[in-house]
Amino acid sequence: MTRALAAAAALTLAVVTTLIVQAGGDPASALRHVYLLPVVALALAFGGLGGALSAGATLVLYASVVLPAIERSGLTPETIEGLVTFALVAGVGALGGTLTTRARRQRARYETILAVQRALAGVTLLEAALRSVRAVLIDRLGAADVGLVVRDGEREVAAAAERVVAGSVADRVLTGGAAVFVPDTGDGSRPRRVFATPLVVAGQPIGVLAVERVGELGGEERAAVEALGAHVAVALENARLTSRARRFADELERQVANATRHLEELDRAKSVFVAVASHELRTPLTALQGFSEILAARSLAPEEVRRMAGIMGAEAARLGRIVSDLLDLSRLERGLAPTLHRTPVAVEAALAATANLFRRGAVDTLVVDCASALPPVDADPDALERILANLVSNAVKYSPPDSEVRLCARRAGAMVEIEVLDRGAGIPDEARERIFEPYYRAPDVGAVRGTGLGLAVVKALVDAHGGTIRVESAVGAGTRVTFSLPAVS
Amino acid sequence: MWALDRPWRPGTRPLLADTPTRLLVALAGAVAAGLLLADRIPLPPGALRVVGVAAGQGALLATALAWAGCRTRSGVVAIVLLVAAAVATTLDPAGALGYLLVPLWVAWLARSGRLAALGLAGAVPGRAVLAAVLLGAFLGGHLLVSASLTLGVRLRAGRGGLVLAALAYDVGANVLAAECFFRGALFNRAQRRWSFATGLLLATAAYVVRYLLDPLLPKSVEWIVGAAFYLTLLSAGNCWLFWWSGSLVPGGVAALLFFAAYRLLGTGA
Repeated sequence: MTRALAAAAALTLAVVTTLIVQAGGDPASALRHVYLLPVVALALAFGGLGGALSAGATLVLYASVVLPAIERSGLTPETIEGLVTFALVAGVGALGGTLTTRARRQRARYETILAVQRALAGVTLLEAALRSVRAVLIDRLGAADVGLVVRDGEREVAAAAERVVAGSVADRVLTGGAAVFVPDTGDGSRPRRVFATPLVVAGQPIGVLAVERVGELGGEERAAVEALGAHVAVALENARLTSRARRFADELERQVANATRHLEELDRAKSVFVAVASHELRTPLTALQGFSEILAARSLAPEEVRRMAGIMGAEAARLGRIVSDLLDLSRLERGLAPTLHRTPVAVEAALAATANLFRRGAVDTLVVDCASALPPVDADPDALERILANLVSNAVKYSPPDSEVRLCARRAGAMVEIEVLDRGAGIPDEARERIFEPYYRAPDVGAVRGTGLGLAVVKALVDAHGGTIRVESAVGAGTRVTFSLPAVS
Repeated sequence: MWALDRPWRPGTRPLLADTPTRLLVALAGAVAAGLLLADRIPLPPGALRVVGVAAGQGALLATALAWAGCRTRSGVVAIVLLVAAAVATTLDPAGALGYLLVPLWVAWLARSGRLAALGLAGAVPGRAVLAAVLLGAFLGGHLLVSASLTLGVRLRAGRGGLVLAALAYDVGANVLAAECFFRGALFNRAQRRWSFATGLLLATAAYVVRYLLDPLLPKSVEWIVGAAFYLTLLSAGNCWLFWWSGSLVPGGVAALLFFAAYRLLGTGA
């Protein structure tokens, strides 16, 4: 269509010129007005370039009529008519073409804004929004490339590059806040223009819109890109806020789900704990009740009475430990540290006392191994006893009969490290991460008795002393629990 | 994308960067010396023409080569070839064929990739050459018709040797130097620095001025107005061809066709 129009216009110009020449070459011929038709048509069809070229072609053709007439007769009314026609054709071509071009650019600008809005409709991720807008702008602006950068909090999201290089045009626009025009990037047979404008929302630069084009990118077009940037900035800011809201919602949903799961686990663990604790409390109480009834109802030999009293004392002590653990746990859950009465405590003696407490039978499976010249620790004696009792109790409970349990101690800088090592079943990796949680018991403990409070209390007591505790374990090979307490200097 | 992933420093190179100033001063000195000597002693016939060709065309060509990044001696070689051809032409019109050595030298430089900045590298688009042929033929034809209608100029007849010598001069000196400098160097730099329109105006103005100052142009108002008219159109068309194709060759073709028509008129050369 456009080619046909251009060909028809060229033909019209040639025919009109031929007719004027054949009619005697009168510069004031009425036919000269026909020159305006192809000029106006091409100006409307092709804008400024069409108007200028058609006007130029008309002038060149009509010159062959007007100039010889001026040469022959000088400035007569006819030749002046010809010169006026020159001016009229040039003016109509230039003005018509310019106005057409401006109107088209204005329309294209509105269409681009509309296309950007459409591209962003329904897009919730900022990265996807940038990609969509970039594709629209490359197409609409006739650009070789379009780059978009948007600041989203601390991060910069960029389309058209992995990141914004320091010192690049986009970086300078982001830091300087002013538009930058580079007339030529210097590579290529034709100039490659770059224009980058800040994306500003509420007076604050939130990003950069950069346009690269091979060919012209004039002042009017740069102004249009700046105006477009204002619209794109608002649209992208909306997309950014939507994206952020979506991320917050997703994060909130995830955290709520985690918290709910944790609470459910805690609730389940507490239910299990109540059952286990009831059983653990009932067992020594049953023993105390049974033996006290026997002592009240029968007359027994003194040795038998002493044996039963010993059993009752041990069960009472066990009951006391459970109650102490419960009280400590209650303090922990209220955010209170255990109360400590610290004094220098000889480690070797404490280890020996704990070992004696758990020795049974003829075979001595508890081995105490302390480094020489070990300093005392600055600790609460009762707390240290409970720590050791809990750890040794676990080691004995989860080890095969007659397997060795070692209690070692050594100096480590300003601390004393105490280690309880067994060759028991070991702890699976997934359980090892949770064994210090209150109420938690490893899933494969079988019929071994316990409340799930011991290690939680141990960790709280070690922490209260300013020490550390760690567990190394291999399933089937055993477990090593190492804790440290401050040495008395 | 260049704007995002390439460091950039504000500022542009001066428009006249890399100009071989010392060489141009030397050429100006040669012209001045020639004019001074011509007033005092009888010079051999054509001596001033040799100096003029070497200084005028040589300065344009050497500057274009220097702006493209070639060393000054590349321009010196071109000037030496121009001098040799001009001397040969003064001895015998067939010596004008010596001007053809200059485009060969430029082609050798272009083949080694040193004239890419002038648009003398890579393939030449066929459509651009076709457009150049149309432009050159239109302007040349229009010139012939207008000149015969307005000035009563007739075509040269029976002087084919002189026309061929003038064409050789155009190929090796006139068109080559003008297109290399005004299009490949000046317009190219200006359009990269400002805009196509600014580059076109600057290059066209300089191009027209260069020919209006040419001592070989007939000094009548008709010829001066005509030269300004046609050279403006030719320059604008060639700038567009260069911008469109990225090559200097189409513009050279258009200019050669136009000057071929000009040489057919009974003046010039």
